[in-house]
Amino acid sequence: MKSTEILVIGGGPAGLSAAIEAASLGAEVTVLDSDLKLGGQLIKQTHKFFGSKEEHAGTRGLAIADILFEELEGHQASGKVKVLSNATATGYYKEDGVVSYVVGEDEYVRIKPRKIVMATGAQERLIPFPNNDLPGVYGAGAIQTLMNVYGVTPGDKVLMVGAGNIGLIVSYQLMQAGVQIVGILEALPKIGGYWVHAAKIRRMGVPILLQHTISEALGDNLIEGALIQEIDNCFKPVGSPKKVDCDIICLAVGLTPTCELLWQADCSMKFVPQLCGYVARRDALMRTSHPDIWVAGDAAGIEEASAAMVEGRIAGLAAAASLSHGTPEEHKERSALYHKRLEDLRAGEVGEKIRAGLCEVCCECWG
Amino acid sequence: MGSKRVDVAVIGGGVHGCSTAYHLAQKGLKTVLIERDYISSGGSGRSAAGIRYQFGTEVNILLAQYNMKCIKTLQQDLNYKADIEYDPAGYLWIAYSESQLEQLKKNVALQNQLGTYGSTILNVKQIQEVAPWLNTQGMLGASFNPEDGHVNPHTLCFAYADAAKALGVEIQKQTTVTGIIMKNGKAAGVHTDKGDWEADAVVCCAGAWSVDIGREIGLDIPVIPERHQILITEAVERMKHPMTLCLDDGSYWKQCPNGTFMLGVGREEVKDTSYYASWDYLDAAAKRIVPKMPVLAGIRVVRQWTGPYQNTPDLQAIVGPTPVEGFYIDCGWSGHGLQFGPSVGRIMAEFVNGEKPFIDVSMFRYSRFEEGDLFFEPACI
Amino acid sequence: MKLIENHPILDFHHEDKKKITFSFDGRKMEGFAGEPIAAALHANGVRTYRITPEMKRPRGFFCAIGKCSSCFMTVNGVPNVRTCVTPLEEGMRVETQTGKGVVAAEG
Repeated sequence: MKSTEILVIGGGPAGLSAAIEAASLGAEVTVLDSDLKLGGQLIKQTHKFFGSKEEHAGTRGLAIADILFEELEGHQASGKVKVLSNATATGYYKEDGVVSYVVGEDEYVRIKPRKIVMATGAQERLIPFPNNDLPGVYGAGAIQTLMNVYGVTPGDKVLMVGAGNIGLIVSYQLMQAGVQIVGILEALPKIGGYWVHAAKIRRMGVPILLQHTISEALGDNLIEGALIQEIDNCFKPVGSPKKVDCDIICLAVGLTPTCELLWQADCSMKFVPQLCGYVARRDALMRTSHPDIWVAGDAAGIEEASAAMVEGRIAGLAAAASLSHGTPEEHKERSALYHKRLEDLRAGEVGEKIRAGLCEVCCECWG
Repeated sequence: MGSKRVDVAVIGGGVHGCSTAYHLAQKGLKTVLIERDYISSGGSGRSAAGIRYQFGTEVNILLAQYNMKCIKTLQQDLNYKADIEYDPAGYLWIAYSESQLEQLKKNVALQNQLGTYGSTILNVKQIQEVAPWLNTQGMLGASFNPEDGHVNPHTLCFAYADAAKALGVEIQKQTTVTGIIMKNGKAAGVHTDKGDWEADAVVCCAGAWSVDIGREIGLDIPVIPERHQILITEAVERMKHPMTLCLDDGSYWKQCPNGTFMLGVGREEVKDTSYYASWDYLDAAAKRIVPKMPVLAGIRVVRQWTGPYQNTPDLQAIVGPTPVEGFYIDCGWSGHGLQFGPSVGRIMAEFVNGEKPFIDVSMFRYSRFEEGDLFFEPACI
Repeated sequence: MKLIENHPILDFHHEDKKKITFSFDGRKMEGFAGEPIAAALHANGVRTYRITPEMKRPRGFFCAIGKCSSCFMTVNGVPNVRTCVTPLEEGMRVETQTGKGVVAAEG
């Protein structure tokens, strides 16, 4: 049976930040990531990030990932952090706190951590329409992986469904890769993403069709086209559907937090629409109702990479502090700093939804 | 919360509760079925989902004959639209020791004597014919019945519940029984967290949870809950393989109709109704079962879950009236209860209605423990 | 579906990667060692990975993070392999999976 002081499940922005923070205070950390490459969704982002200087505003996502990797490598070299990729956590056993994971297809391992940070991220949602299972209907994250990580185009003509930030950004990234965007459909009467992203797309001549949805995907064995449908404020169809040609339908219709391990640990969970699904209740230091488990990043509520990194820092700090790493002064100073950063990130109109969602699941303390 | 009135209140929405409610309604008795979570959420839905002829005591064999007859046409009889999935892949009880083989021979002889001719003893060569994927090294023989098999434990409950509802039974889900209403020493209904139900009779089909209900009215029901675990694999194409059980080491495994393999191991387990699975269970299952069927090494485990056995001192059920007038009990099925829903549901309704049960179940009486009249069921795993 | 050679921001250095051969339904193909099988199939123009057991419908890539089971294929005789997170190896036998897959006889 392996053991570790702090197990971080998920090597994306939240997980890596948690690992770095905990190691910087002297904790011994093991990071598990189910993908072949670390970095979660960060390594797929070619656009420049917003936020403050500390969150590397103005830097591209994959460059931010490199910054994190460099910091991590320092701790790996000193032996404080061990990282396992292609390693999927398959279970949390409540009776004794053991975590099982599988490396690749063949190696089955059990580890007993003293503390855990769950940074398991999120997964794509799917909307129902006839033929939504045909090859060629892909999630937005999947297209980013293919395109930005492995350098392969998914197809030639993409119909994008969803004009939130992800839909807009991925459309732009597809065009950078030489792929044509046939159009972007948005069911609501307004664009959900940041105006700056939408403006860039419009300038390149891509139609953004508000109050439109996909009513059917067309094709026998592969996507060959789609029927798009105008809808009214009650989402009822207006007029007849129009046919468009495409060979890829990209669904950017939202994410939902990945929480299975938290359920297995019997953490107190709540369904919060603003956070996009079931999430764990947590205190100000990101600790769940389970005294040995913290949560950070999209798994704690769908937000974005900058917030994920800061939440990761807080969770890593708290987990390390619970094992008496670092001094009380360090804890106080860093905690104040990180909470201020989160406040700034979530300020104003842009952060309204998140703040409302967080009210539902934040506890003063677990008493 | 006002009080409502029915003829009978049934506690527990597993297969016994649903079947009992259905049979009561068929007799024209106004019935309410109270389930604390959702139908089949207790032991029924978590079970290994088996149904078989093969038992080692007379009463179980006779009841099993009725169960097996019923299951073949149950879907049509209850007019149920989904699939109960009765899948007769056969039950193969394998023996590695002389004593185990002797017991299997006794079981089969008794079954044949009582009219179940399809059960036979197989030698190693015959085992290889019915179960070609087994490693028969060390096996001495087995008992086999090709009609034994699998049933979908959820849809089995839903089928009875839907049929009961169609006959006017009120089903109260997400409702917890908080106590028994007593009047002059007689059971006169149930208290629930959503109101009271007055009734002339109460039937307790609450499985492992019957103990708490009984204790409150002075009944000492000798059921000890025991957590059992099971695992399920990914689905693969159907292979020729019967449900295989080994009493020498407590292991059992089968392929379900959808292609997944279900693996179970009976061993030292916590004596409670907790639903937490343990990691060492996976080791136990793999160590005991894979050597017996090497091809399983290449199949992936997808999920494991737990379910409570409700064990009595002789691993036989407790069925019928109790010292508390108006309070009937149907529990203690020690890991083989799901399949007795058809027969015992009918018998409970007969008890309540003052009829003689169509099969004599006096051996299951509650008083046998006090009387010291225990009788063991050998075909239990 | 093709390899991206010119990108305004990213430089994939495809020419520096280790090229290996594998087979798809008996056809010889090339891909890069250690990258997901699904990426190699896309680069070779292949998008259909399996035919579903009950309704016989074609399926391919969807989530790319090993969560949805859409991309299952039979690889070296082993069914239900998540091609989106399984690294490509020299000589791999990748096959369209029809139905549930037959368990490999050697464990």
